[in-house]
Amino acid sequence: MSDEQKSEINQDPEMSDAGDGDGDYDTSSQTPTSSTSGELQIQELPAKKYEYLDHTADVQLHAWGDNLTEAFEQCAMAMFGYMTDIETVDNLGSEQIQAQGHDLLSLLYGFLDEFLFIFSADPFFIARKVTINSFDRENFKIVATGFGETFDLNKHPQGTEVKAITYSNMQVHENEGYAEVFVIIDI
Amino acid sequence: MVVRPYNDEVKYLEKISHNCWRINKGFQPNMNVDGVFYVNEHLEKLMFDELRNACRPGAVGGFLPGMKQIANVAALPGIVGRSVGLPDVHSGYGFAIGNMAAFDMDDPKSIISPGGVGFDINCGVRLLRTNLFEKDVQPVKEQIAQSLFDHIPVGVGSKGIIPMTAKDLEEALEMGMDWSLREGYVWAEDKEHCEEYGRMLQADPSKVSSRAKKRGLPQLGTLGAGNHYAEIQVVSEIFDKYAAAKMGIEEKGQICVMIHSGSRGFGHQVATDALLAMEKAMKRDNIETNDRQLACARIHSQEGQDYLKAMAAAANFAWVNRSSMTFLTRQAFAKQFQMSADDLDMQVIYDVSHNIAKVEQHLVDGKMKTLLVHRKGSTRAFPPHHPLIPVDYQLTGQPVLIGGTMGTCSYVLTGTEQGMSETFGSTCHGAGRALSRAKSRRNLDFRTVLDQLESQGISIRVASPKLVMEEAPESYKNVTDVVDTCHAAGISKKAIQLKPIAVIKG
Repeated sequence: MSDEQKSEINQDPEMSDAGDGDGDYDTSSQTPTSSTSGELQIQELPAKKYEYLDHTADVQLHAWGDNLTEAFEQCAMAMFGYMTDIETVDNLGSEQIQAQGHDLLSLLYGFLDEFLFIFSADPFFIARKVTINSFDRENFKIVATGFGETFDLNKHPQGTEVKAITYSNMQVHENEGYAEVFVIIDI
Repeated sequence: MVVRPYNDEVKYLEKISHNCWRINKGFQPNMNVDGVFYVNEHLEKLMFDELRNACRPGAVGGFLPGMKQIANVAALPGIVGRSVGLPDVHSGYGFAIGNMAAFDMDDPKSIISPGGVGFDINCGVRLLRTNLFEKDVQPVKEQIAQSLFDHIPVGVGSKGIIPMTAKDLEEALEMGMDWSLREGYVWAEDKEHCEEYGRMLQADPSKVSSRAKKRGLPQLGTLGAGNHYAEIQVVSEIFDKYAAAKMGIEEKGQICVMIHSGSRGFGHQVATDALLAMEKAMKRDNIETNDRQLACARIHSQEGQDYLKAMAAAANFAWVNRSSMTFLTRQAFAKQFQMSADDLDMQVIYDVSHNIAKVEQHLVDGKMKTLLVHRKGSTRAFPPHHPLIPVDYQLTGQPVLIGGTMGTCSYVLTGTEQGMSETFGSTCHGAGRALSRAKSRRNLDFRTVLDQLESQGISIRVASPKLVMEEAPESYKNVTDVVDTCHAAGISKKAIQLKPIAVIKG
C-alpha cells in the first residue's frame, strides 16, 4: 500500500486538505541554490507527505512517512508550508535545532516549537527542507537541521501566521514501515 | 474523552431558556459545576453539528467539540458558578474559544490555566471615533486604505517600525500604556478609555523568558495575521442614542476606526512557556484534568503566580501594541486629511481585551468573593455604576467592542446587571468560526471573495491572498446572530452597529 493510500485510512474525504496551493509542489521541481563555494547547485524538494485537516479555529497538520523520523520532518515542513509557499524558499543556509521531551508527544511539540522559534525571532529562518540528524528514542532527544533562508517579505509570499504548537489531540502512530503524526497548530 | 453515541450525548443537554442550554454533570467526568452555553436557533445547529461530528466512530485526527471543552472546564478544581459558553463559542485549545470560567481565589485548590486565556494574551479590540462622515471619506477611501496599509506593518514576518530597544521593551512590559504616554504615542485621555487603564500593575518582566522577549521585540506596533485587522467603519445603526452620545457617536454615517490585535509572538511565547512549566506543576501537585490541553497550576503556587505576572506583562505589551497602531492610524488620517488627529477628534472610545484572566469581585450565592475570571474569546461587560469603568460610562455601562469578520458589521454593546449575575460580567467577543481554515481554502476562491467585498463598496488591503479565503465571512458565524443572542439573553445590550468601508488585514 502506498503512503498516500495509507494516509486515507479512517479519513473522512470532507476532512482532508491534501493540497490547497500552500506548499504544493511538483516533487520533480528543482531550484538552484547557493553552495558554500558560491556555485549554484540543485536542491530537490523531498516528496510531499503532509496535508491540512479541518479544525474550526486552527489548523491540523497530518504528516506521514516510512518511519517516525520522516513523519516528524514532514510535519515541520507542513508547518513552514502554511506560513509561505516553500517553492519560493532557496537553500541559502542552514540552522540547527535541538529538542528534548519526556515522551514522543512532548518531543514532537519541542521539535516543532524550536523551528517555530527560529522563524519568529532572529534569525527569522524559513526552511525549505528539514532533516533530522539524530533521533534518540530512549532519551527523547532530536537534533535536526533546516535548510533554507531568512524570511523576506519581498521574496516570500505571506501565508498564515502560526502562533504556537499545541498538544490539542496530538497523535503519533507508528507501524512497521509507516508512521503518521497529527498536530494542531494555533493560528 | 468520554465517547458515546450522539443520542446518548444529547441526554445530558437541557434547554433552560429560549437562548440558553445547560450541560448537566456527567457529560464529562468529574464536573464540579454545570456548563451552559448561549445560542439562538442558527448557532444551536452549529454547536450540535460539531458534537455530532465528534461522535463519528473510528475517526483519526479530529478535535474536541466546544461543548465537551465547556464541560471539561467545569471539572477544573475551584471553579464556581458555571462554565459558560458565549454565543460565538467553538472548539479551541483546552478551553473552548468563547468560554469563560471563574475560580475562587480563597480555595487553595483553585487553578489558573493558560488555556483559559489563549495563546494571544490580551488579544483585543480598540475603537477610535472621528468627526468625519462617510461623505468625507468615500472620495478618498482607496487612498486612506492604502495609507493605513502603508503605515501599519501587517502579516506573517512583519516587523514593527516603532523604535524599541531591549531596555524600552522591559519598561513597556511593566508600564503598559504609561510607557506609550511617556514616549508620546498616545494621548493622556486614551488611558482613561481602556480596560485596566492600559496597565496591569502585577506585571513583572523578570518572569518573562528571554525567548518571549526575543520574539516580541521586533513585533511591537504590528497588526499580525489571522483574524487581526484594522478597519475604517461607518456607523450604520444606533440602538441606544444615550449610550452612543456618551461615546461621542452623534449620528449615523460617522466614521470610526477599529483595531483588532494582540500581544503577537511575545504573548504566544509566554503562553507556551507557562504550559510547559505547568505540566510539571500538575504532576507535582497531583492535579488531574480531563484533557492534557488544560495544563494548569494552583493560583497560589509559584508557577501560578509567575504566569499571572508574565501574563500581565504580555497584556501590557498588547496595549502598547494597539497604542502604537493608534499612533500610526492617527498619522495616516492626519496626512490624508491635512488636519491634526486632534482636529479630527480621533479619540479612543474604548479598548477591550477578550483573552485574559483577571482578579475581580463578584457575588457568588449571595456572598462577595474574590475570583480569578478567565475570559477566552469573551469580553468583560461590566454594568452601569461599576467602580472599574470610566466616569464617562458610569451611566451607560462599559462599552463592549464586538468585531465582525472581513466585510461584515461590527457592534458596540454595553454591560448589564444580568450579565454580571449570569456570566460574571462577560459577553461574546466576535463572530466565532463556523468553517475550518482548511475547508475555507478548499471551498472558496480568493478572487471571488475580493470581488464580493468590492461589490459591497469595501476597499481591502491584504498581505496574504490565502488568508482572504480563511477569513471570508462564510468561514464565520453570523456576528448579528451572536450579538442578538447576547442582547436577547440580557447579558449585554446593543448600542451601535458599524459597517466596514475599508479593511486592512495580514
